[in-house]
Amino acid sequence: MKISQAFKMAFFALRGNKMRSFLTMLGIIIGVVAVTLLISVVQGATGEITGQIESLGSNLLHVSFTGMQPTHLTISDLEVLEQNDAIFGVTGVVTRTATIRAGHADDDYSVEGVTRKYQDITEQVVKRGRFISDIDVEAHTYNAVVGIDVATELFGTENCIGNTLDIGGFDFTVVGLLEESDTMLANKDSTVLIPLTTAQRLFKYKDFDALYISATSPDTVDAAEDATDDFLIRELGDDDYTIINQSAIIDVMNEVMSVMTILLSGIAAISLVVGGIGIMNIMLVSVTERTREIGIRKAIGAQRSDILVQFLIEAVVLSVAGGVIGLMISYIGLQVLSTAMDISMSMSLGTVALALGFSAFVGVVFGIYPANKAASLKPIDALRYE
Amino acid sequence: MIELLNIRKTYYMGEAEVHALDGVTAKIGDGEFVAVIGPSGSGKSTLMNIIGCLDLADEGEYRLNGRLIDDYTERQLSEIRNREIGFIFQQFNLLPRLTAYQNVELPLIYQGLPMAERKKRVMESLEKVGLANRMHHRPNELSGGQQQRVAIARALSTHPTLILADEPTGNLDSHSGREIMNILKELHKEGRSILLITHDHNIAGMASRQLTIRDGRIEHDSAAGGAP
Repeated sequence: MKISQAFKMAFFALRGNKMRSFLTMLGIIIGVVAVTLLISVVQGATGEITGQIESLGSNLLHVSFTGMQPTHLTISDLEVLEQNDAIFGVTGVVTRTATIRAGHADDDYSVEGVTRKYQDITEQVVKRGRFISDIDVEAHTYNAVVGIDVATELFGTENCIGNTLDIGGFDFTVVGLLEESDTMLANKDSTVLIPLTTAQRLFKYKDFDALYISATSPDTVDAAEDATDDFLIRELGDDDYTIINQSAIIDVMNEVMSVMTILLSGIAAISLVVGGIGIMNIMLVSVTERTREIGIRKAIGAQRSDILVQFLIEAVVLSVAGGVIGLMISYIGLQVLSTAMDISMSMSLGTVALALGFSAFVGVVFGIYPANKAASLKPIDALRYE
Repeated sequence: MIELLNIRKTYYMGEAEVHALDGVTAKIGDGEFVAVIGPSGSGKSTLMNIIGCLDLADEGEYRLNGRLIDDYTERQLSEIRNREIGFIFQQFNLLPRLTAYQNVELPLIYQGLPMAERKKRVMESLEKVGLANRMHHRPNELSGGQQQRVAIARALSTHPTLILADEPTGNLDSHSGREIMNILKELHKEGRSILLITHDHNIAGMASRQLTIRDGRIEHDSAAGGAP
């Protein structure tokens, strides 16, 4: 018998029992929807978060000091570290929260004392005016660069260059406005940047709260981290500091996400197996119901393999059709979710192949036993069955 | 050519042993029209199942076309049922969800014939039994006599050399029964061997040779003029 004939027979048999075929497929449909939706959502979320971390600058190292003692680091100390081949730039910052006034408006914002290098190291873009300059730092000027939220909330306009704002009783002149950040993690929209030296004087603090260090390329991040580590051990004499490596964060996150993907798809795969058991159950019932049909087919010359293939194809068609319907439902579900959550989530080709392959596999595994049972019936026993 | 030598078949119904066939020996040549006659329970259906390769004997030798049946593989037995033998059952045994056309086509599908050839043979067979105009009807839309004629068309479509008919008129009224017998007689004239199983002496009389079976033994063979 030709295989195309076997498919025809399988479709004919399944069409004759629409409700039962659909209910049997439902188990596979739910399983495939669960697998593909979960994997796609996790992948979408991973992409989103990785993108945000990467937009911080994957070359970037962040050092925060955890000790109670002052570090006594100076700008010239940092210049020593900057000599390292792996390091592009080092900048120290002082960060405080302060109440800022402008006219009648006031609110609490983060104030950061920075140097000129800060712009290049953290990849800030100036929308209007200019950034903090070397002269600002040397001369302890009262100039400030504001984030976009600060500008709109305090001045009601982005056109705020030359305006004055008050930090802790000192008047600062706004010389620059930062471009709106498109990330959540490196967001400077609600920050006011002032010269480092001015901040140290204003907050009566001779130290740095944190360092930003950028490597020359993503490949040298690890070397830069080692150099920073050596430098800090030597300078501080203790290890009261934490170096955060952006690519390390991404690595950890990817690891967490892949564990989650495996875990979730494992759980979802269980529902596929349950669906497969449903198929086996129905196929066994079907073989019993159609015992006489099998007998007739054998009497008129069906080979054992003809019967086996016929029932196996029925099981595989059920499971693959369930898989295809499940994929379509998942596709629609993802479109809806992407729009609702504003995160781009799509099914990768791998996910589609996995879902289809697995449902076909389930069909074969759970179809082979009933099909074999049908094929091994003796013609006379099957014919006599009432 | 069918040669049976001392065929035995025993069924177990709970504790009781039932000797359905208790040493049957017979020879049926090519082109013969033989009726096997006997009351119900005499073992005549069991005999037909063994001859039709649907069942195996417990003891004895059955040679089909000179070759011992035990020497055939399962695959070859399926092929014999498909190509050499045409079955006609008392219950018709048509597949209820297929049309007359599809039922007749089924053995040809198992032969792997191409569509055009299948169509030619199906039409030829249905015309022979006078049901070409009913080919798109399902069994439940046909009368008993028509269903049996579809079953005969199905048996004929593969051009078998041997036709096995197990009480083919048993479920039919006398008019339909006569029609079926006329078709069988015609098939015999065309040179096919026919083995007809019946408990009805009138019908058995239409065959050229009668084998009377009782309690699993052949009691009388009209060709031999007495017990074998």
